[in-house]
Amino acid sequence: MNTLVKVARYHLVDRMTFVALPWGILAFSFLVNVVVSLSVPTGPHGIYTGGLATIYVFLLISGAMMMTRSLPFGLMLGVSRRSYYGGTGLLVVVLSVVYGLGLTLLQAVERATNGWGVSLHFFRIPWIMDGPWYQTWLTSFVLLALFFLYGIWSGLVFRRWNVTGLVAFIAAQMLVALLAVVAVSSAHQWHAVGHFFTTVTALALTGALAVLAAAMGLGGLSTIRRVTV
Amino acid sequence: MIPTISATALSRRYRDQIALDDVSLTVEPGTVTGLLGRNGAGKTTLMRIITGQEFPSSGDIRVLGQAPAENDDVLRRMVFVREEQAYPDLRVEHAIRVASWFYPNWSEDLAQQLLSDFTLPLKRRIKRLSRGMRSAVGIVIGLAARAELTLFDEPYAGLDAVARQLFYDRLLAEFAEHPRTIVLSTHLIDEVADLLEHVVLLDRGRVVLDAPADDVRGTGMTVSGPATAVQEFVAGRTVWHQQRLGSRASVTIADPLDFAAQARARALHLSLEPLSLQQLLVHAAGASADEKVSA
Repeated sequence: MNTLVKVARYHLVDRMTFVALPWGILAFSFLVNVVVSLSVPTGPHGIYTGGLATIYVFLLISGAMMMTRSLPFGLMLGVSRRSYYGGTGLLVVVLSVVYGLGLTLLQAVERATNGWGVSLHFFRIPWIMDGPWYQTWLTSFVLLALFFLYGIWSGLVFRRWNVTGLVAFIAAQMLVALLAVVAVSSAHQWHAVGHFFTTVTALALTGALAVLAAAMGLGGLSTIRRVTV
Repeated sequence: MIPTISATALSRRYRDQIALDDVSLTVEPGTVTGLLGRNGAGKTTLMRIITGQEFPSSGDIRVLGQAPAENDDVLRRMVFVREEQAYPDLRVEHAIRVASWFYPNWSEDLAQQLLSDFTLPLKRRIKRLSRGMRSAVGIVIGLAARAELTLFDEPYAGLDAVARQLFYDRLLAEFAEHPRTIVLSTHLIDEVADLLEHVVLLDRGRVVLDAPADDVRGTGMTVSGPATAVQEFVAGRTVWHQQRLGSRASVTIADPLDFAAQARARALHLSLEPLSLQQLLVHAAGASADEKVSA
């Protein structure tokens, strides 16, 4: 068995972690929203919820845990950091594909039943995840992987530089966003930004998110190289 | 033959301290080496560098002939059981199963035997185990892996005397049946003294002793009896320690005694008692401390 596959299986050895837990949480969030839509008067456009976010947040946290809690035992078993990261990356891809397919199927059911019979928009998100099934699958895959990889990178930053490092890491991201805002403002280009977001296709945005996800993956790789346990 | 471990001028500096200071040593294949020293002497840092978990600030480390850091070919041939090893939130059976995937020579029979010897509850989550039980999980993995290089760093924190004896017995039996290179770091020196073929003593990051265990055992003797006779006998010898109680004295000397000297001691009605490995190492560490102070 290839070392990368072994590492991926290591993360999956407890079925609770990536099978029962995330889908259980999502099912709970879904049921809460169904009951809510049954209990409140529904407008002409139905009900929109942010309940889907639970699965993304779950993956973010799981990614961080894989680098803080699971890494030391992985290294105890004679795996190099590179292999550990590669095997974890393999799992990220596989899980994002499978989860994305699950979300796509559930979205199809939601559409076919006109919002589970209560006009609920749980798996449909306007514009970004409202297109054909393959586009929903692709976008879900990219978004799931993005959250996973962001969690992994954050976990590694914490592992290597502790809380101070993590705070600096998040502050740096805020600074980048702030610089972008200042740059756009000083160049008086807000109308161009508005124009971009009103004309960009969901597919193009998915592509941009994929680039961001790849950057997260590379960031994590460069961070794990000198992590010690 | 390629040494299993070969360190040359290895140093590891942290911001405000030196964990390893110019450490050079070799460990030959198929030996049991005791890596000994006080808390903070650098034992764990050295073992972490050997297993690629930590990087040296300077110097060179070779394991099985190659640099271990990020080298899967070398890393998969060793297992490192640490004191207070951090485990993810898994059940005992999960951790054992995962470990079995990574070691080509893994013995499932041995693993099952050890699990029942240590009465480990397979279904229990590792974080719910007592300290001793958690140590036992590491011991099971370390022995069942049958890795070419097996490193134990204080592997039995919290284990009772019976369980520790079980560990020593199993370690010895395994070593006899499936020879491998073992490095064992511990504070309980007298308990493992008979297991060790070679001892390396670290003190504040430096190697202060690196010798076959038998050579170390030969040195050091406590001479006691009437004070005047003792003084006469030890004159001209290297004295490590002396104490007087009334008319009797007890003096610890460093050099080995030949047959004639032993006969003379008997004639003077002196009793001779060899120092245990632990006492010897305490003296060796103390000697290195004195050096530091006077330097």
